[in-house]
Amino acid sequence: MSSPLDTFLRPVHQWVWGDFDRRVRKLLAFAEVETDGGRDILRASELTPDPLLRRLYLEHAIDELHHGVLFRERGAALLRVRASRSAPLFTGNPLPGGHGLDDLRIEGEPDHRLLAFLHVAEKSAAGRFEIYRRLVDDDPATRAIFEQILRDEVFHMNYTYTQLARVSPKSYRWQIWRARGSRLWKRYLRIAAALGDVIGTAMIALVYFVVLPPFAWAAKRAHRVEGEGWKPARTGARDSAASQY
Amino acid sequence: MKILGISAHYHDSAAALVVDGLPVCAVQEERMSRRKNDAGFPLGAIDWCLDHAKLEPDDLDAVVFYERSMLKFDRILTSALRAFPRSWRSFPRAIKNSLGEKVWVKGVISSQMGVPRSKILFTDHHASHAAAAFLTAPTRRAAILTADGVGEWATLTTGHGTRTDDGTDIRFEREIRFPDSLGLLYSAFTAYLGFTVNEGEYKVMGLAAYGRPTMIGQVNKLIRRTSDGAFVLDPEYFDFQTAAEHSYSPKFVELFGPPRHRYEPLDLESKEGQRFADCAASVQRVLEDMLVDIARELHRSTGLPDLCFGGGVALNGVANARILAESGFERVFVPSAPGDAGCALGAALYADRMYFGNPDREIPDHPFWGPPADGDELARAAREDNHPVESLDAPALLDRVASQLAEGRIVGWMEGACEFGPRALGHRSILAAPHSSETRDRLNRDIKFREEFRPFAPVVPRDVASRYFDLPPGGARLARFMSGVFPVRPEWRPQLAAVTHVDGTARVQVLDRDMAPALHALLEAYGRHTGIPVLLNTSFNVAGEPIVTRALEGYSTFRRCGIDLLVAGSTVVRKRTTSASPTAIPMQERVASWV
Repeated sequence: MSSPLDTFLRPVHQWVWGDFDRRVRKLLAFAEVETDGGRDILRASELTPDPLLRRLYLEHAIDELHHGVLFRERGAALLRVRASRSAPLFTGNPLPGGHGLDDLRIEGEPDHRLLAFLHVAEKSAAGRFEIYRRLVDDDPATRAIFEQILRDEVFHMNYTYTQLARVSPKSYRWQIWRARGSRLWKRYLRIAAALGDVIGTAMIALVYFVVLPPFAWAAKRAHRVEGEGWKPARTGARDSAASQY
Repeated sequence: MKILGISAHYHDSAAALVVDGLPVCAVQEERMSRRKNDAGFPLGAIDWCLDHAKLEPDDLDAVVFYERSMLKFDRILTSALRAFPRSWRSFPRAIKNSLGEKVWVKGVISSQMGVPRSKILFTDHHASHAAAAFLTAPTRRAAILTADGVGEWATLTTGHGTRTDDGTDIRFEREIRFPDSLGLLYSAFTAYLGFTVNEGEYKVMGLAAYGRPTMIGQVNKLIRRTSDGAFVLDPEYFDFQTAAEHSYSPKFVELFGPPRHRYEPLDLESKEGQRFADCAASVQRVLEDMLVDIARELHRSTGLPDLCFGGGVALNGVANARILAESGFERVFVPSAPGDAGCALGAALYADRMYFGNPDREIPDHPFWGPPADGDELARAAREDNHPVESLDAPALLDRVASQLAEGRIVGWMEGACEFGPRALGHRSILAAPHSSETRDRLNRDIKFREEFRPFAPVVPRDVASRYFDLPPGGARLARFMSGVFPVRPEWRPQLAAVTHVDGTARVQVLDRDMAPALHALLEAYGRHTGIPVLLNTSFNVAGEPIVTRALEGYSTFRRCGIDLLVAGSTVVRKRTTSASPTAIPMQERVASWV
């Protein structure tokens, strides 16, 4: 079930799961991702006009939220046995969006597109979890979680496909290809945005060190002469209602 | 005159519509988008407000943003310059963050809503807080105190307001500026204790009751009183200006010990857990002392009997109760949404009264300005899922719900328009019997999925509130929107165990019949069944999610947790009894009968 890319990336996965701290970090990141994904699907259940899909989405969301709990509990259990707590292990969520690298938007998304997206995302997740399951052989508790989640993901993959064929009988294959294309496009956008972010950061950092020092000197000097404690209120004293200053 | 107020881009975005001087509707964006503390531009909230009032954007006379975004940018830039070169890591992020959208607010509003730029106005952040607190309160003259993390530059302001037939006047006298901030001090501890900043502050308050303020000396190293009665934070202990990840510095960690990891369970029986509780108790005590002193001075300088308190710090009910008891003010008014969401309403009211000079209007004294819950929508969904559904008239419904509560059932209660603000005040509540600590544990474990140290709040009719709770003069008013924490009378603590916190207090809601008649009648019906007309009242959501808005959102929450009975309008849904929790059975088997 694993994709060629995942097979190719197997050494990277091995590197991630072979280290205790990285394993904990990954489990906690998965907890966030599964929980966010569950909330997205929950939202879909509240918005869809299709009664059957409403019920299926709700059950699916319950599963995803439960996966989040499983990952969180396992991560927390491993965290408890981690000896050193000197540095923060994890801050923020490294995988934005409810489905990791996929940025899912529920509002305004028709069911056929959402089902196609979910099918492709679940299939991809199932392939990856299959690899992870094999990589945590030394950790039966974590392995058991992956086994349970894998079973669920396979069912999610199947039901989304069946329902897609129901709601969009003429174009369901096209919808799946479209979802795959959309995933690729979003990945490209994400990489491009990350690259742009790095370039932007470098340029601003350059400005910071080259242009700002005299202004920083002036700002520090002004701050030194400013007294501490209460100041006369500027709040409510500005003249213009139209000014942002 | 039709004025739309907007708050956005930092946390808890919201929109509020004021027509002819009165609020018509107000809602937080999170209630529409279902993303907790949604900070995005509140397009969903704006759309709903305009739809609700049957207005088009062209019909608006003004759109008011709750703060001056370029002034805020000025603060961010100046702070980075002051911290040069230590701010090199946070500077690019702050600049990208601000230049990405936040400083172009006028253009964003204009393009998103299609209103001309000339109609877009701005207020000062703390003026919005002040207006939200003062102009919605039933008082004509009052001292005004606002305190939060930071607005543009101000973090705390004092002043006073007057409402007369000739017009409204809000005057600010003094302010304390960034980086000296009570809100940021508390938020640094929130982060240190492993909770999410701008969301977990009330957990720190709840945790404080389990600790002893043994670290006041250490906290006082972080915050020093100035000779004029203000305070300054020691920048060595904070990283507001340099680090992007968290707001406390390595020196802070040296002083208080290792921080708590956000995923680490908080074990209050352990030495480490007790240290965290003591930290919380210490910063809570210092915050209270500071606020009481500032409020006392404000009372002395204004000589007014009423105080209107706004800003995120006003969500601290323990501090509010001490202000009421010790500052000399006879009444303390805290709005239902004192935080940034409430600024949307505050900005619109401020513009109406102060910019346009419109006459003062008495604002209805309730928090119910959001979208309604539709019982028919609930009935339809529940029938599709084969859950028992009934439609009952009011007396039968109240009797049914009261008897179910008396039998220990947990009820999801949705009625009318949802609350504006972070608290469930009777229209989107989970209700339960308040008598047993097992109910509290069940709610935390099976329904809210949250930490076991978190307390639950009671709701009680005003006329009997003093029988159960030790309310000082003015306490009932402060408790109207659940803004004060007061002692449960010792003789009632065993019968109110689920709502009595470990220190014998409760964040009680004192309910007037006029504010929420159906809940008031339910309390009376429950009193007839059990002899105690008090219910446990907690927000209708599970951990990490916003309070439900529509009936269908209530229904999906009901399906996922241990709520036994769900009520929306006249519709009552009972959960089918199952022997196992949904996740104990694979989805394949759960859905096999109907796919």
